[in-house]
Amino acid sequence: MSTGRTLRRVLRNPLGGLSAALLLLIVAAVLLAPVIASQDPGASSLSEAFAGPSGDHPLGMDSAGRDILARILYGGRTTLGGALLALAIALALGVPTGLVAGYRGGRFDSAANWTVNLVMALPAMVVLLASRAILGPDVHVLMIVLGVLVAPSFFRLVRGIVANVRGELYVDAAKVSGLSDTRIIARHVLTVVRGPIIIQVALVAGIAIALQAGLEFLGVGSGSTATWGAMLNEAFQNIQRAPRLILWPGLALGLTNCALVLLAGAVRDALEDQTPRPARRRRARPAPEPAESADSAAPRAALLSVRGLTVAYARPDGTDKEVVHGVDLDVRPGEILGLVGESGSGKTQTAFSVLGLLPEGGRVTRGSITVNGRETAGLRERDHRALRGRTLAYVPQEPMSNLDPAFTIGSQLMEPVRHHLGLGRKEAADKARELLHLVEIPDPDRTLRLYPHEISGGMAQRVLIAGAMSCDPELLIADEPTTALDVRVQAEVLDLLRRLRDERGLGVLLVTHNLGVVADVCDRVAVMNAGRIVETGTTEQILGSPRDPYTRTLLAAVLDDAPARAPWQPREARTVTA
Amino acid sequence: MSRTARTASVAACVAASLALAGCAGESGGAAGTGSSTLNIATMTLPQSLDPAVATGSALPYFQAVYDTLIKREPDGTFSPMLATEWTYDKTRTHLALTLRKDVKFADGTAFDGAAVKANMERFQKGGGASAKWLADLKAVDVTDATHVTLELAQPNPAMEFYLSDAPGLMANPKRFAKADSLKTTPDGTGPYRLDKTRTTVGTKWSYARNPDYWGKELPYKNITISFFDNETAITNGLKTGQINAALLQTSDQQIAVESDPKVKTEKQEFDFQGLLLFDRDGRITPALRDPRVRQALNYAVDRDTMLDRIRQNRGRTTSQVFGPETQAYDKKLDTYYAHDPAKAKSLLKQAGYAKGFTLKLPRITAIVNDALAASLQSDFKAIGVKLVWDTLDGASAVQKVFKDRQYSGMVMNMGQSTSDWAAADELVTPGAFNMFGTTDKVTRKLLPALKAGNEAEAKSAARELNHHLVEDAWFLPFYRMSYLHVSDGTVKISPQSGMAVPSIYNYAPAK
Amino acid sequence: MLNFIARRIAAGAVLLVVISFLSYLLLSVPHIDVGRQLLGESASQSAIDAKNASLGLDEPVLRQYANWFAHAVRGDLGTSWFTSEDVGQAVGNRLPVTASLMLGVTAVTTVLAFLLGVWAGVRRGAADRFVQVLGVVGYALPGFLLTLVLVLVFAVRLRWFPAIGYTGFTDSPSGWLSTITLPVLSLSVASVAGVSQQVRGAVIDALRQDYVRTLRARGLPASRIVFKHVLRNASAPALSVLGMQFVGLLGGAVLVEQIFGLPGIGSMTVTYTARGDIPVIMALVMLTVVGVVLINLLVDILIGWLNPKARVA
Repeated sequence: MSTGRTLRRVLRNPLGGLSAALLLLIVAAVLLAPVIASQDPGASSLSEAFAGPSGDHPLGMDSAGRDILARILYGGRTTLGGALLALAIALALGVPTGLVAGYRGGRFDSAANWTVNLVMALPAMVVLLASRAILGPDVHVLMIVLGVLVAPSFFRLVRGIVANVRGELYVDAAKVSGLSDTRIIARHVLTVVRGPIIIQVALVAGIAIALQAGLEFLGVGSGSTATWGAMLNEAFQNIQRAPRLILWPGLALGLTNCALVLLAGAVRDALEDQTPRPARRRRARPAPEPAESADSAAPRAALLSVRGLTVAYARPDGTDKEVVHGVDLDVRPGEILGLVGESGSGKTQTAFSVLGLLPEGGRVTRGSITVNGRETAGLRERDHRALRGRTLAYVPQEPMSNLDPAFTIGSQLMEPVRHHLGLGRKEAADKARELLHLVEIPDPDRTLRLYPHEISGGMAQRVLIAGAMSCDPELLIADEPTTALDVRVQAEVLDLLRRLRDERGLGVLLVTHNLGVVADVCDRVAVMNAGRIVETGTTEQILGSPRDPYTRTLLAAVLDDAPARAPWQPREARTVTA
Repeated sequence: MSRTARTASVAACVAASLALAGCAGESGGAAGTGSSTLNIATMTLPQSLDPAVATGSALPYFQAVYDTLIKREPDGTFSPMLATEWTYDKTRTHLALTLRKDVKFADGTAFDGAAVKANMERFQKGGGASAKWLADLKAVDVTDATHVTLELAQPNPAMEFYLSDAPGLMANPKRFAKADSLKTTPDGTGPYRLDKTRTTVGTKWSYARNPDYWGKELPYKNITISFFDNETAITNGLKTGQINAALLQTSDQQIAVESDPKVKTEKQEFDFQGLLLFDRDGRITPALRDPRVRQALNYAVDRDTMLDRIRQNRGRTTSQVFGPETQAYDKKLDTYYAHDPAKAKSLLKQAGYAKGFTLKLPRITAIVNDALAASLQSDFKAIGVKLVWDTLDGASAVQKVFKDRQYSGMVMNMGQSTSDWAAADELVTPGAFNMFGTTDKVTRKLLPALKAGNEAEAKSAARELNHHLVEDAWFLPFYRMSYLHVSDGTVKISPQSGMAVPSIYNYAPAK
Repeated sequence: MLNFIARRIAAGAVLLVVISFLSYLLLSVPHIDVGRQLLGESASQSAIDAKNASLGLDEPVLRQYANWFAHAVRGDLGTSWFTSEDVGQAVGNRLPVTASLMLGVTAVTTVLAFLLGVWAGVRRGAADRFVQVLGVVGYALPGFLLTLVLVLVFAVRLRWFPAIGYTGFTDSPSGWLSTITLPVLSLSVASVAGVSQQVRGAVIDALRQDYVRTLRARGLPASRIVFKHVLRNASAPALSVLGMQFVGLLGGAVLVEQIFGLPGIGSMTVTYTARGDIPVIMALVMLTVVGVVLINLLVDILIGWLNPKARVA
């Protein structure tokens, strides 16, 4: 997303805008110190020590008879300047090395890691004190040393993210298309790390500012230079005599730190949250209005029947954006219905509506969904949940990301059966074995003990189908179940679906963009475009004599062998599948 | 103890400049009437419990386990302890001591003349911070078990004082063969023994009453001395009764305890704070060679405001370095230099420095806080003198000031000895605090008289010397600071004359 | 696994030697005249030289280090120059104090930060804002101010807890608890504030994962998904932060130890470093390195347990 949009998003967030304004104000005040302050921060008139606020000295005088306002403003220069210095050093040392180490790995990575471990194991206090003894009691010296000491946190952050991202598809693709490493880092990798870096920057700035105060408190200070830390310490030394001295430096320090953290949070939200976060209206969710579609006259199927379904997402400004506009669908037992359309046509939203699992902010605004004749649109979460697993099941598109990496295959298969069917550990294990058998996984006993990262994509998809079938559902909702698989595995999985339909009378809502898949397994097809069903019929009808121009375009595209979907997509853009 | 102990404690303080307060910290304590343990808090650490390295500021740690030859009472007078009598000969170079005969160390070794000789010779050569106090000791002649004579190279009026301080501490001579063992396992004849199981060297020392003590037992069965590195913790401990007695130096903590009705306080003026001008020969800052310049600096400083704002009026302004208990003290000299910038300016003009000069001084923030630093700067600026502070760490300050002699002076907190000679010796005799060795006709004449003269001669020499130092502006004293001996209400503390820290004998349950 | 631990410990040992060398050099550079500090400013140069020689300070720095190292590998860390304590004992005496603080803070932080973070991440809305505000305030509050307020209110005024001092756990478990409660509280505020934000972020990230939707599609209750799957996946990143926080506490404890008059490692580090008491500082440096190495190892093992993908072969 562009910097401009990020900025707007940050500012639109009330806390983000407020803290940005506050920081700007503080920085401006500090920069304009010579204009605002009536006197030099060091000018002292001891006879006026501890004097309260007056016209000349709006914040009063400190223990040495110095103008508190002047010291806050000039002190801010040293304090914030020092924090900037620490940051600059930490960023300069940590980020480039982290990028290279994470991207290249190898010897540089080992050497850098070793150095970082060394720096992190150094006792910071000893190093700070010793450097001070060597280089002199100057706040800048302390900040430079601090910068070096916190650089590892940037290094680790960046290195970790980059190492993760290195293997991602889109970086590979960029490599294939012949971009130089530098350009890949600049274009793709930096984009990924900037969010976390910004947050870390705010935290480190806060630490630097707080540390100045802490060191002053320990008597390891900045000499005679005014800093907020020094002022706070001076106030502490006179806390009995004049407790109010603590107010202004405390406020300056506290507010700056608050603003930094809040701003960092807002920036993170802006960078990471592509979906607008609506005000959550858990309880007051309006029930969908009844369908008003003209097609609603058609007889409704026993297993799944959708009439006039509309789905909308709340926008931050409170209005709704409708993405599905009145969809009608029917799935009968023992029937596979293909729901076909391009990305963004609304087919996945339709599928999620049936499951009651629309992503945050989305909701069914109109229409009716019946499962086994029971209305589920607007059903309470708890009741909807009771349907999932035993009546409705779901097979996702991307096999790997849909298995919890932290648990074994066995544990993930046993969990629903233990929960729904109340089986004991041993029976559940038997059932899991049986399920793996059902989806034709060789050596089920070994597979049960494996973790998701230890199996192949095709195997993972079978495991997901096994998981979906574990409680013997009546309707399987499969969202592009074969897209991520290679052709041979794809055919096997489709065979499996067909078999399940035939042997168990399973109804399947198969969401796909792939007309080949449709031709292979579907009994009937619904074609979706821009949130509407444009055509419904048997597979033969639709593929053989399409009536709708859009269906014809789709078919033509298959014949041209053009990919219906881009070969790779940055992960960010995948968060919302529509 | 005052002077040199003070010196050592300034050094220690300078070193541990992290302490919130200025130097000098010791503490006194009191025990609960019901409780049999006296908990004293202190900000001073002993280097070890070997008397060879004992210093005045850490004396209470030693007094618990070791007796001194002479006891120093709270008012500064001397009374018998391990020595029952002591007399000088006419030349004041032979000091004859009569020793107690019933005193034994824990292992049964008798305390006798040989022990005195062994201890004093060991102290003299032991390399401790106070070893130089025995520089004038030529020999220790053991007449018999209960009689020894100290032979001095020259008269030393402070000898009795020394014998009541670190050099007078007597350890079991049998332990000298394995010298290091005394460091953590003291062996003396004192009223307490170190309870090693409950002692954590470096943070807390526990002493239990010595069942075989020869003298009158002290009121507390147990004494603990705990080390703290800041007065805030001490103040809070006093308020909750976890600490029975302590000394508070900073005015803010003094205010903090006074607000508590239970807490009992006892004021004592011991340290003075001032700028010691070392550079009276003008080696670093040529201007300082002219007495008029030094006088001008004295007139420039607004002592009353400083005392009021920096110490909340806790103390007394002064222009002299001698304390009120000395013979040299003259009340009139306290106000000799009143704040008078105009006079200061004209003095500078007469001296040829109408345009002023730059004075660079070291600053240890534990001693020179912001208010003091800023006010001296603006007071000097008012007469055209530019004061530049060089902020130093405690450890490097000692080095730069006293070894490298980089500065013309230094603001210090100095203990005020009750002994005229001790005070004069520390500040006027060429040495650490007269590091450039300034002398003049008057000091050359008066110092020997003060040291070797009879009482009357010494007294007049002292007074004359004091007047000379003030008028010639050898120093720039600001004020004597009042410290507060604080107890949680259960202890009566008797301040020790000439010592910031009360002796271990000065605590008793409050009635 | 054992092989992995052995390799990490070996790497740690190398780190220990390198850091000990660097630290010794760093500490020797300021040329703090130890003898002069010990004997006072009025001591004669010959006395000072003799003192320095007796401490071995007249030798070249490399020789001094070699000397120190030769003794240290045999477990002899020497004696403090300034207090004559046996260094091993001195550090050993103070370690329980700081260790108690750190463990206490870690326990409090783990429990509270996870509760708050999960609550905020799952419920979002008002709960989320509450936790975020708490985090910001806890983070921005000057530490010593909070500590002072706690002492004045709960120790001096209400007398619920002692204001100063430390009681060993073995001496009296209840005394131990009462002496460390306030210090742990003062340190925990910032720590809970920081870690709860991390947990919140990790929980939100985990909730967005595809497998969470799949688990919901299987009809599993939300609580089970959150506490079993989300928590476990969110724990790994939170744990690294907790580990860093723990290491950071070594430094952060100083202030609290001073105000509570606790004889711990933190205040010891500051006091002894300022004096230049090299034998003690070196022991503290070694202790820190060992601590950091062990904590990192522990965190890595825990993360490996939580996240099989990160497990080493």
